[in-house]
Amino acid sequence: MKLISNVEKSLLLTAAGAFALFAIGGVLTTVVPPMVDQSLWRSEFPVHEYTEQEKRGIEIYKREGCVYCHTQQIRHLASDQRRYGWRMVDAAVSESWEYVNDKEHFLGTKRTGPDLARVGGKYSSEWHWAHFKDPRNMGEKFPDRKGIYEKASIMPSFAYLSDEEIKDLTAYLQTLGRNKDWRVDKDGNPLNDYEK
Amino acid sequence: MKQDTAAKTAIIASCFYFGLALTMGLLTALKFIVPTVGEIEYLSMPRVRMLHTNINLFGWLLQANIGILFWILPRILHTKLFSEKLGVATGILYNLTVLGGFACILLGKVKNVEYGEIPPPFDYLIAVCWLLFAINVFGTVATRKVKYLYVTVWYTLGAVIWTTFVFITGNMFSQMPMVTGVNQANLIWFYVHNAVGLIFTPLGVAIAYYLIPKQLDTPIYSHKLSMVGFWVISFVYVWTGAHHMLHGPVSHWLQTVAIIFSFSLIIPVMAVITNFFGTFATAPKSIRMKGPVPKLLMMGTVYYIFTCLQGPFQAIRSVNEIVSKTDWVVGHAHMALFGAFSYYAMAGVYYIAPRLAGRRLYSEKLGDLQFWIMTLASIPFFAVLWISGVVQGYAWLNPENTFVATLAAIRHAHIMRFSTGGLIFAAYFLFLYNVLQTFFGKYPEEVEAAEAAAVSE
Ligand code: HEC
Repeated sequence: MKLISNVEKSLLLTAAGAFALFAIGGVLTTVVPPMVDQSLWRSEFPVHEYTEQEKRGIEIYKREGCVYCHTQQIRHLASDQRRYGWRMVDAAVSESWEYVNDKEHFLGTKRTGPDLARVGGKYSSEWHWAHFKDPRNMGEKFPDRKGIYEKASIMPSFAYLSDEEIKDLTAYLQTLGRNKDWRVDKDGNPLNDYEK
Repeated sequence: MKQDTAAKTAIIASCFYFGLALTMGLLTALKFIVPTVGEIEYLSMPRVRMLHTNINLFGWLLQANIGILFWILPRILHTKLFSEKLGVATGILYNLTVLGGFACILLGKVKNVEYGEIPPPFDYLIAVCWLLFAINVFGTVATRKVKYLYVTVWYTLGAVIWTTFVFITGNMFSQMPMVTGVNQANLIWFYVHNAVGLIFTPLGVAIAYYLIPKQLDTPIYSHKLSMVGFWVISFVYVWTGAHHMLHGPVSHWLQTVAIIFSFSLIIPVMAVITNFFGTFATAPKSIRMKGPVPKLLMMGTVYYIFTCLQGPFQAIRSVNEIVSKTDWVVGHAHMALFGAFSYYAMAGVYYIAPRLAGRRLYSEKLGDLQFWIMTLASIPFFAVLWISGVVQGYAWLNPENTFVATLAAIRHAHIMRFSTGGLIFAAYFLFLYNVLQTFFGKYPEEVEAAEAAAVSE
């Protein structure tokens, strides 16, 4: 009780106490994790190094705030793996080492649109082009976009980006999720045929 | 310099930002219904959303809290503000800084930090303003004329110290070149979570700890509970950042730590809330709910309980699987920052504005009306977001549902959010009008007196 009443009389003790208690948790949750778990910043496996064009794409992704509608993480959940898979192949779970070359992380918090962690190679660059121009009307070339897709997408149109910018952005998108080679059929043949 | 100038400028400025932030919120909500509205670069949905959060956090809430504390601290410490000049200078620099920051966001010059999009040099300048504020806080406490520090002072000191580290970690350390990927995400989550938990929670609670007993003319219910609340929150809040990455690519042990500490948060929150309600319960009935100030304090406390119980609930792994990444989270965030802390801040403004102006509040009736519209609109506003979150979360479990089909299923919720948000926006103008009238307006009795004088002449 003596101690408590001393603390309550002292600016220094109150401030020091509040700082010390905070600092324990602060250090253990920010500085210690990368020391204990090196895969947060180092990878044993090869990780894609971004080209200059892809780096420009990353800047556009950041500037246009895609992260506020799209996450980039396949969580350890069957529903995530199934939904963001490809041709009946479940998407591989995202692991921390896959992100080590991301100077800006886009893990995200809100899925107003689908997850993009494994979107690289899923659609042709032409598809992305049409989609950025107008997600609600991608033209005759993409008949599977008709119907409910056409009406219900609330992704903004990014038609105000220059052609060059859309190309850079698409180049970046096409790298996503390629650090794991997960898109193979039962016999191990790659399913990445759409990019031809 | 005239006493309380610093408080006055910060409070008045913050009220305008509040309206601007709500405008941005409403526009975001509209874009969820009609995505083609305002299809230009500067008004694309992410920009508007970033403006909405940043103007709310830095323009309105933080500034309102600073202004309110500039007024409260000298009163509880029985002294003058350490330096009125420094306070005013801080306010001016701060407003120029945040305006510069908002302009950058509008132009797309942003940092990839949620709640910290304001880029350098403006984020550094915010840190500078914060340190100037800290000097004033420490100075005022050091030159006090009372022996003991009241709870409000503990929380303010805590907030000043914690925020310095939280802000620098999220805005500066996270941007260092060797900090990448999930490691960066972890630092940013540390910031985002503690921005709410160790900036706005302690500041809001500090203000409520002053206003509730003062307004109700009743001593705080229990000093012991005050201590438990403060010292436990200093220890437990900071651990929880990783609960935003449950099931994600971050270390499993870190997630578990975050979950455990999320639960331990119930202790300080319950201590604070029991204390607030205890004070309400022991206050004389006749003044318990008189006028907008106690109503806002009461409802803010109710929202505070709900947010703080929702937090641990969402951190349960199986619950998180459904609600995470959906609209639910948006509902949760609004209940904390709008429901609890903006209510406390509005109570503070309503309490202090008349005292700064040296007369009564312009209209208690109008204040009550504003309270009721905001409250009755905000309950469905939060609720539809939770409902839509749960609906979409379950819909995602079934891979047969295409993504847009799950989006179409929650369209009604987005329409509800926009319309109830519109009511909140309308009620804001009653608040602004009332506050501005209190500071600058003519009161009916003054008009009458002037007329009477004119007649008798
Ligand atoms: C307002 C929220 C919003 C914003 C901002 C947004 N999107 Fe989308 N996005 C959506 C929605 C909703 C869908 C699903 C409907 C559709 O395909 O149009 C989608 C779909 C996509 C898809 C197709 C994913 C798939 O697997 O089918 C890609 C790729 C995409 N968005 C990329 C982007 C990029 C890049 C940006 C930033 C320039 C961006 N989006 C900004 C909402 C958004």
